[in-house]
Amino acid sequence: MSGTFGSLNTALSALRYNQVVLDTANNNIANAGTDGYTRQRVESSSVSGGVSGLWSRVETNPGYGVAVDGITRMTDAVLDARSRQEHSKQSYLDTRQTVLERVESGIGEPGDSGVSAALSNFRSALQDLSNQPGQAASRSQALATASTVADAFRVQVANIDSEAAQQRASAQALVGQVNTVAASLASTNAAIAQSRLGGSTDNTLLDQRDKLAAQLAELTGAVSTVQTDGTVSVTLGGVALVTGKQADQLVIASGITATGDADGSPVSFAISDGVTTTAVPDGQLGQLGATAELLNTTLPAYRAGLDAVAATFADQMNAQQAAGYDASGAAGSPLFSYDPTNIAGSLAVAITDPDGLAASGVAGGAVDGSNADAMAALGDADGAYQRLVNGFGTQVQSAQQVAANQQALTAQIDNAHEQLAGVNTDEETINLMTAQRGYEAAARVLTTMDSILDTLIHHTGVG
Amino acid sequence: MRVTQRMMTNSSLSSLQTNLAKLSSIQEQITTGKVLNRPSDSPTDTSSAMRLRTALAQQNQYSRNVNDGNAWLGQIDNALGTAADELNRAHDIALQGANTVSMDQSARDALAAEVDQIRSSLIATGNTTYLDRPVFGGVTAGSVAYDASGAFVGTTGTVNRSVADGVKVAVNVNGPDAFGTTGDSVFDHLSALAAALRSNDTAGITAGVSSISADANRVNTVRSEVGARENRLDAAGTAAKNTQLSLTSSIGKLENVDLAEATVNLQAQQVTYQASLAATARVIQPSLLDFLN
Repeated sequence: MSGTFGSLNTALSALRYNQVVLDTANNNIANAGTDGYTRQRVESSSVSGGVSGLWSRVETNPGYGVAVDGITRMTDAVLDARSRQEHSKQSYLDTRQTVLERVESGIGEPGDSGVSAALSNFRSALQDLSNQPGQAASRSQALATASTVADAFRVQVANIDSEAAQQRASAQALVGQVNTVAASLASTNAAIAQSRLGGSTDNTLLDQRDKLAAQLAELTGAVSTVQTDGTVSVTLGGVALVTGKQADQLVIASGITATGDADGSPVSFAISDGVTTTAVPDGQLGQLGATAELLNTTLPAYRAGLDAVAATFADQMNAQQAAGYDASGAAGSPLFSYDPTNIAGSLAVAITDPDGLAASGVAGGAVDGSNADAMAALGDADGAYQRLVNGFGTQVQSAQQVAANQQALTAQIDNAHEQLAGVNTDEETINLMTAQRGYEAAARVLTTMDSILDTLIHHTGVG
Repeated sequence: MRVTQRMMTNSSLSSLQTNLAKLSSIQEQITTGKVLNRPSDSPTDTSSAMRLRTALAQQNQYSRNVNDGNAWLGQIDNALGTAADELNRAHDIALQGANTVSMDQSARDALAAEVDQIRSSLIATGNTTYLDRPVFGGVTAGSVAYDASGAFVGTTGTVNRSVADGVKVAVNVNGPDAFGTTGDSVFDHLSALAAALRSNDTAGITAGVSSISADANRVNTVRSEVGARENRLDAAGTAAKNTQLSLTSSIGKLENVDLAEATVNLQAQQVTYQASLAATARVIQPSLLDFLN
């Protein structure tokens, strides 16, 4: 049997314990909607009576109250890592989908204003020219529609170029953001290490640490590992970005100049610790990975496809034009010109005089339209362009489907995470009530003890 | 499974979003009237639609080409009809002139004058134009097929019209094919006849009768051949029109929304959306606190 005053201590521990439970429930409720907050739970254990001394009387007692062992964050490191991984995939796919949809809306097919319609109009104008090779109006019309075709190609290229420029600017902004987040994470790491050194753990710091690690994963697909000292190490493609309180700098190694222009080589990244710079392998996830993929693969591929279509078109037209004779009877000079390094973007009509159209298949200035008819019959560019648009449409469609599938997976992981770490206000209300009743009961114990002591002090042995 | 309020809120929110997105896609279909608004809506249908649109533009052009060709051939048909009439008249005159018994020189001179008239009117017929191009001049850049002397000054060549894939129909007739080669042309025969009438050259007049009769036959042969080509053009025109109709309806089937179906879908989607709104409202509101006092 503990001393009489010992019982007061037991009641005190119960009061204190219930106070902590109340506070924790309170904090949980307060943060029920906070992003990145992890539900906390009070861990407690009963205080044992201790071991009796060797020569003491054998004594049994129920224990000396309750001790607060700590406040646990309801989290699972494996689930967190999985969540980060799925979110980095998700942001990669979402970014890609958004950009592809934007590029797609610029294609304008099927419709009356795209390249396909321009090619059809040009062909019709050539047939009209073939019908009336002697008429200035039909010549001008054919030349004007030829310009429309060149314009339609250039509009698409300009569209893709401006998207690429936007992606380069976005890559620069993302790199800056990554470095800021990495620096915050490093200082959070330092704070965690410090508080561990002092023997305490601040759950708020850990929440912040996880939130920053998740942000880095969404931005770059970086992999975070929790170390035994509570800090998080972040690696990007195997290259260390954050180690303890040290944050290295992510830099654009190639592909984008400081002013945001393309430098001709593929976009790549590196991590510099101030002394050495280590290249980050290609194929990262996250928004930055998507931006790099778009800049290095998807956008150039579509642009190359357009170039091929434009080259086929211009070369065929020029060859047929060379086989015919213009209004003055001279052999046709090339109708379209382009810069071989930027075919679709520089496609232009090379002749300015409508009489330069080689409509005639007969030398010597005869009014013949057979060559214009032959030009109208050239349809390889149409087929190639249809295949290109079909291919791109398929790419967009598959990007949408993959993103939707990933969305389902990410939502499921988020749900699993929320099951563990989320706050249920009903549950917290019950915790609150339990703690309240516990507190009341402990207070009643104090009253009882007080009354016992009163009896002992004032009513015992008093004459 | 442990369920938190946030899970419920999040899942309600994401299903509301999903339903709204579906609603918005149906709304887009109905307001634009198209199911193909961008290639990714259906890449295969998009490339089919593009192919059909190209084919439709081609068929429209074929129709225009047929109309243009018909105008050419119609003009030629008319001209050849006039020429045949003139030649019949010349043939009559030649026969009349050959009847030497009943005619004195002044009457023959009058006939010769009429032959000259016919000749110059035939030269004008030979210079018939369509849109400023002499239809008997081949591919000449000049404005006439025959000069005042009746010599062919055009450039022999074929004026073709594409009327179907790979099908070209010649829509012109070269002057020499209808009126004979220079030196042996209808104009030469008419001058010879006029000269023979004036000089009372009986043999010449008789030769004129037969040569003009041969000329008239040639013109009629060419005219019937022109008629056959007009038929070909008409057939091609009808085919192009039919193809246009079927292509337009195919494009419509691919691109245009089935309004009835879309409206039903919209209705169904609206019901789903309202149901999920109602469910959200019921699920999010209650809390344990409502039942504690």
